[in-house]
Amino acid sequence: MFAPYIEYARKAFAREATYRIELIAEIGSLVLRVYLLRSLWTALYAHNAAPTGLPLHSMITYTTVALLMSLVLEVDGTRIIREKLREGGIAVDLMKPIVVPFAYFSDGIGQTLVHALAILPSLLFALLLVRIDVPSLPVLAIFFCSFALGYGVNFFVNFLMNGVAFWTLETFGLQLIVRWISDLLSGQILPLSFFPGWFGRAVFALPFAAIYSTPLLLYVGIIQPAQWAAALAVQAAWLAVTAGASYLLWRAASQRVVVQGG
Amino acid sequence: MLAAYVQYWKINLLTMLEYRADFFMWFAFTIVYHGTALAALAVTMLRFPSMNGWSLREMFFLYALWMTAHELHNALFFNVTYVPEYIREGRFDRFFVRPFDTLFQVLTVPSRTFPDGFILGLVTLAIATHVAGIHVTPLTVLTIAAVLCGGAGIDLGISLFVAALSFWLIRVDTLRWIVMSLEQDFTRYPISIYTRGVRIVLAYVLPFAFMNYFPASYFLGKHDAAFGLSPEVGLLTPLIGLLWTAFSYAFWNIGLRHYQGTGS
Repeated sequence: MFAPYIEYARKAFAREATYRIELIAEIGSLVLRVYLLRSLWTALYAHNAAPTGLPLHSMITYTTVALLMSLVLEVDGTRIIREKLREGGIAVDLMKPIVVPFAYFSDGIGQTLVHALAILPSLLFALLLVRIDVPSLPVLAIFFCSFALGYGVNFFVNFLMNGVAFWTLETFGLQLIVRWISDLLSGQILPLSFFPGWFGRAVFALPFAAIYSTPLLLYVGIIQPAQWAAALAVQAAWLAVTAGASYLLWRAASQRVVVQGG
Repeated sequence: MLAAYVQYWKINLLTMLEYRADFFMWFAFTIVYHGTALAALAVTMLRFPSMNGWSLREMFFLYALWMTAHELHNALFFNVTYVPEYIREGRFDRFFVRPFDTLFQVLTVPSRTFPDGFILGLVTLAIATHVAGIHVTPLTVLTIAAVLCGGAGIDLGISLFVAALSFWLIRVDTLRWIVMSLEQDFTRYPISIYTRGVRIVLAYVLPFAFMNYFPASYFLGKHDAAFGLSPEVGLLTPLIGLLWTAFSYAFWNIGLRHYQGTGS
């Protein structure tokens, strides 16, 4: 029953693994950004009062782990929807005896695994530049659970964005716009607690916070053990909402597949 | 040649009018790209008011200066970044059979370019200049214009150099990524926050610091904490832009000869 989906993941892995140069470029640019952010936060902490609960070493840990997470989270596993729509392959896929969204999810997993392989070398290079805190085992465990939930939310947000292509066919620009906004509002670039006033409270109520912010705040210990369950519950709720919306979108969309000529 | 160039912009304008929705989407993209960068900067600096002695208002000006020069480069010279692709796909050779300079032909491949980002940059720069409290005289306007041209020249020089490398190497993507990251991310902050090696790279090797850090220090009357240079160094930007463009153009021509030599 799972065999075809495993095969989809394997194929995607093999396909993505051929882009070795891109992977090296990715590691190189990540290491540059680790250096950049170290310089940035070191300078900022040297000239200003440190925010409460977030000393410099936690801040550097936060940004470095965020960059490592982005190796996996910036893979758009559902880009395949857009490509299949443009090239018409989606019509064939819909005729196959598979659940198409599951097949695409498996494809996304396969791609993600390739980029996950870049995490270890990236981490090793990063450790030449920065020291990061390593939390206790339970914290690490809860971090990985939260990361997995965040991965799910990220997948379905991308799914929804690519799903728009069923109606407009051209979504790339829109998707980049959402990506930039989501990077800022998810806590990837800076901790969401830095946002001022009501806006600072509002960003925590958006689904983007479930992608980067929650796992990262667990990692650096700002979310205390007493709040762990609540934090993961919020993520799980967003996962359910985005997955539900994706389901509805898919049902509506597969009714109206328009194949362009060619 | 001038007539051909005018024709090129006419085509661009007509294409924009034809694909209006597409144009607005990419314009929105440009706004969001710079908007999120500035928003991240503002949020950070509400918590940390001093960036090595630079205030948020000064940082805004620093960003706007880079943004405008970069968008000027994008409006006029963006096609240079497609050269490696043209070469790889064999689309470069057609430039040899036409009676214009090769680089000129690369720059005038219709590509839905429109100077919307540059116009946005000018507006942002005007606001930033006002916010930073810079006293504006006609001479200031001329100096800023010269710095912008110089900045676009530095940008062009470096991207042309990378493009010319692809006459020898098939894949320059990795190098281009790293140079792009150095430019887009590292120019956001005063170079004094970096370690000495990186400062030297940004000032003397790939002189992105002359796109905004040095001239901004001049206009804002700030002491240079990176090298202790006098603020007037910022006025060298047009000269450096010219030198880099000339140097890369010469390198480009060497590459062209090499390419012809092995091409057929």
